[in-house]
Amino acid sequence: MSDADQPSLLRRPGAWAGSIFASFGIIAGLRMSSAINATTGFILMAFSMVLLIPLVKSAMARQRAQGFLSPAITRYNKRFLLASFGYVLGLGLAVTINDRVELSQGETILIALLPIIPIFAMIWTMARYIAEEQDEFLRHRAVMASLFGLGVVLSIGTFWGFLETFEVVPHIWAWWVFPAWALGLGFAQCWMTWRDRTEASS
Amino acid sequence: MKNRLKVLRAERDWSQQALAEKLEVSRQSVNAIETGRYDPSLPLAFRIAQLFELQIEEIFEPER
Repeated sequence: MSDADQPSLLRRPGAWAGSIFASFGIIAGLRMSSAINATTGFILMAFSMVLLIPLVKSAMARQRAQGFLSPAITRYNKRFLLASFGYVLGLGLAVTINDRVELSQGETILIALLPIIPIFAMIWTMARYIAEEQDEFLRHRAVMASLFGLGVVLSIGTFWGFLETFEVVPHIWAWWVFPAWALGLGFAQCWMTWRDRTEASS
Repeated sequence: MKNRLKVLRAERDWSQQALAEKLEVSRQSVNAIETGRYDPSLPLAFRIAQLFELQIEEIFEPER
């Protein structure tokens, strides 16, 4: 690929993903050093989430250019974007309410649902994608990536559980299973894309 | 599974994108089938055979 063919920085999904991670890192750093309070942290986090829009747009442009974009992927991206905004909003509300209001156990369960319902929406979005994808190769890739993510969660989760039982490692909250699965899925998708590109060019 | 998809496509002077549109699949699917990274399902193999007006076994053959 010549320099002229290289997409500009603004069209690279990696640049937007990097910006999001960097802003989350800065916000987490400010929060841990007590430079900002929880509410300010969540407001900044909500602003950072706006970066998801150019990330999804640039990712879709790349998928289109590489021949990966299908109507089902377009619907998946839109639904996942909405669920992500819902998650940040729900998490912000839940933490703010939990910090400021004395809640009963029943009320705490209801408050915990605020970030969880968007997570359910993300899982539903993934399930719908598998069901709606008409292109069998893309569906096959998505299923393989999901299984890889599941393998990551089961392996690391079970290993960590035993290490925790033997008091070797600290306790980890169970809500980590979803991000761990999603990271495994994302890694598998990236690896398959890299492998396909390498094999196609050789 | 080996296949003659690339040759058949070249004979008709079709791009991968053009073939993908005729088969109503993604260009990556055509690429994956051509390079042997993915074996199509029976319904898709029939669609491919129908498009090229050939029998399935004239396009696909098992690896020996």
